[in-house]
Amino acid sequence: MVGTPVLFIAIPLLAAFLIPLLGMIWKELVRIIPGLVLAYMLVLSVSLLSYVLENGPIVEVLSGWAPPIGINLVFSAFSGFLVTLMSFLGLIIWIYSYRFKRNVDFEPSKKYFILLLMMITGSIGIVLTGDIFNLFVFIEIVGISGYALAAFYMGRNSAEASFKYLFMGSLASAFLLLAIMIIYSQLGTLNMADIASKVHLMDPTYKVVAIIFFMAAIGIEAEIFPLNGWAPDVYTEAPGPVGAAFSGIVVKAAVYAAVRMVYTLFDVSGTYDFLLIMGLITLIVAETTALRQDKLKRMLAFSSIGQMGLVLIAFGIGTLEGVFAALFLMLNHAITKSLLFLSGSYLVFNSKDKYIKEVNGLGKFMPITSFLFALGAFAIVGLPPFAGFWSKLSVLTAAADSNLILIIALILIVSVIEIVYYFRVVNRIYFFKKGESVIPQRPTAHALLAMITLGAIILIIGFYPDSITGILHKASADLMDKTKYINDVLSAK
Amino acid sequence: MKNTIVILLLATIGYYLGTIFFGIGFGDAHFANGVKDTYLALTTSELKVANTVTSIVVNFRGFDTLGEVTVLFLAATALGGILYKKRHAVGERTVLFPASSIVKSGAKLIFPAIVLLGAYVFIHGHLSPGGGFQGGTIIATGFLLMLLAYDNFSVNHNVLSFIESFAGIFFVAFGLAGLLISGTFLENFMPVGTMNDLFSGGVIPIIYILVGFKVAAELTGVIYTVLHEKD
Repeated sequence: MVGTPVLFIAIPLLAAFLIPLLGMIWKELVRIIPGLVLAYMLVLSVSLLSYVLENGPIVEVLSGWAPPIGINLVFSAFSGFLVTLMSFLGLIIWIYSYRFKRNVDFEPSKKYFILLLMMITGSIGIVLTGDIFNLFVFIEIVGISGYALAAFYMGRNSAEASFKYLFMGSLASAFLLLAIMIIYSQLGTLNMADIASKVHLMDPTYKVVAIIFFMAAIGIEAEIFPLNGWAPDVYTEAPGPVGAAFSGIVVKAAVYAAVRMVYTLFDVSGTYDFLLIMGLITLIVAETTALRQDKLKRMLAFSSIGQMGLVLIAFGIGTLEGVFAALFLMLNHAITKSLLFLSGSYLVFNSKDKYIKEVNGLGKFMPITSFLFALGAFAIVGLPPFAGFWSKLSVLTAAADSNLILIIALILIVSVIEIVYYFRVVNRIYFFKKGESVIPQRPTAHALLAMITLGAIILIIGFYPDSITGILHKASADLMDKTKYINDVLSAK
Repeated sequence: MKNTIVILLLATIGYYLGTIFFGIGFGDAHFANGVKDTYLALTTSELKVANTVTSIVVNFRGFDTLGEVTVLFLAATALGGILYKKRHAVGERTVLFPASSIVKSGAKLIFPAIVLLGAYVFIHGHLSPGGGFQGGTIIATGFLLMLLAYDNFSVNHNVLSFIESFAGIFFVAFGLAGLLISGTFLENFMPVGTMNDLFSGGVIPIIYILVGFKVAAELTGVIYTVLHEKD
């Protein structure tokens, strides 16, 4: 053991407060410190995860008061898996953006690294916490960093995107607070395990209102269909690595919150079907909209929303196989979509409007970046030798086991749409003639290292899916076992 | 037509929610269960703190407070980052009307009193109503008054940044000290003393003073940045 789960929050906060001071001593420290912190978090999460897979969950009590009086953090197989994934992606995104705005402007790059680190930390906090008000605080941390990072380029469009996100995010915070208030007024506790054990005592009217508020709030953050108007703008206008962090880390944390609510917190029948139906609508609407986009990042944004819909469908099936498929999808989507965002933002690096037609013929001029983008595109649509194939297959088998034939048909139809718009871009990269005005951009060595690592992981999971499925099986069993969660938390000292 | 439907829909939702929230009845008998009695009992018996709100904010739910302090820090950082290129140099701020000499001398007179009151509020956070957030905000209003009265009043950004960072670092450091000495993050590791003494409550007053400094520095920074924004 190299530490306890609270260090996932304490160390990055310490670093964030230190960075402004250290920046006065040596400017390069502003870039180095977040990387060291993220590397430490990755080491810590891997070692804690291997401990947890053997010995059962770690419940950490804070301020010396056992739950339900104090706040607690839960590092179980399920949350630990997500924390490891987030720390890893955080490190990759840091490597990619190491030279971001270097030699240009010191002040904005300092803010960029602080905000990026805090956005990752907030997402990890959402996953680790065992207390609903603490969840609200971490959602606020993620939100504030997200608003600022969306407006980072300070242009007209980025200001609009940031304002949209700010408006929706504030609404989400208000709804979440109302839901927490209703739950506290009925049960007198904020601890998730305590709520889960007492929720049957709650008046059904209040329970339904609390769930509606909770779902509306989390739905905004998790990009569920009618509430995701902010997402495409933010993905389009934010810097490339921030888009990757949003789709790979922030949205995963929000989906975790929704799933924790449905699987652990409430006992209302029909919430699984709700997830299933909302996921299906999100998937179909997002993928058909992605087909019509003419800007690269906007297309990736809609594809990302669609993939989250697929994750919700898998969680909505409600069986052990469904949860396994959902976790596998989350893993593959986090890695593949990050690769697509990171390589895609180099493909349209020098273009002003980021149109898809501007990637024409870049395959000859940017061979590695183009190859990695194509690899990501093949993986995300689910072609056999790559990682995405296994996760899509597991969703389909989970749906087949539950006799959801219509869902299988719809997922397959939508996959064809996905193939059409991704292959259109790959076709343009390799078989079209390059436009006269397009200037190819050489990626930095750091960016190449980050992208090649992601590409290698896609191939490794694709060829050896068994390397990861053991952890996923344990994580999904951990989520399904509600009584064990309650007992583990409430017996913590 | 569309507006009518929207208004009708909102009215229905509003009516429904209104009945729900009026039905909660804060202070009724069903509030007997839950954690609140434990908080009230432990505040006086274990922590020897007179202000229960403070004991909940800084001790029982101190982790949330650390998060809220971070939210404020991020908001200040974000604002500084976004308005960075649009900042006036010190003293080049454009004002519509210069403040009259009554405002100027009045502001000078009242400024020390405001800062003193703010300091009192956060130092006595564990004994009387108030605390770090409130005291820090009071101090920031003092600086706002000075900035409004004098268009060339300047605050050193580096000093603000130092105070912000040090207060935050010590907050986390006290938490980590609790982890090392007593076993859990942010746990009290100092003697609690007797109730109603200024020096009582263990680490609670120290953390609240740090929060006070941090909030004061951050809000002053935010006000300063916004006032020096170019139109």
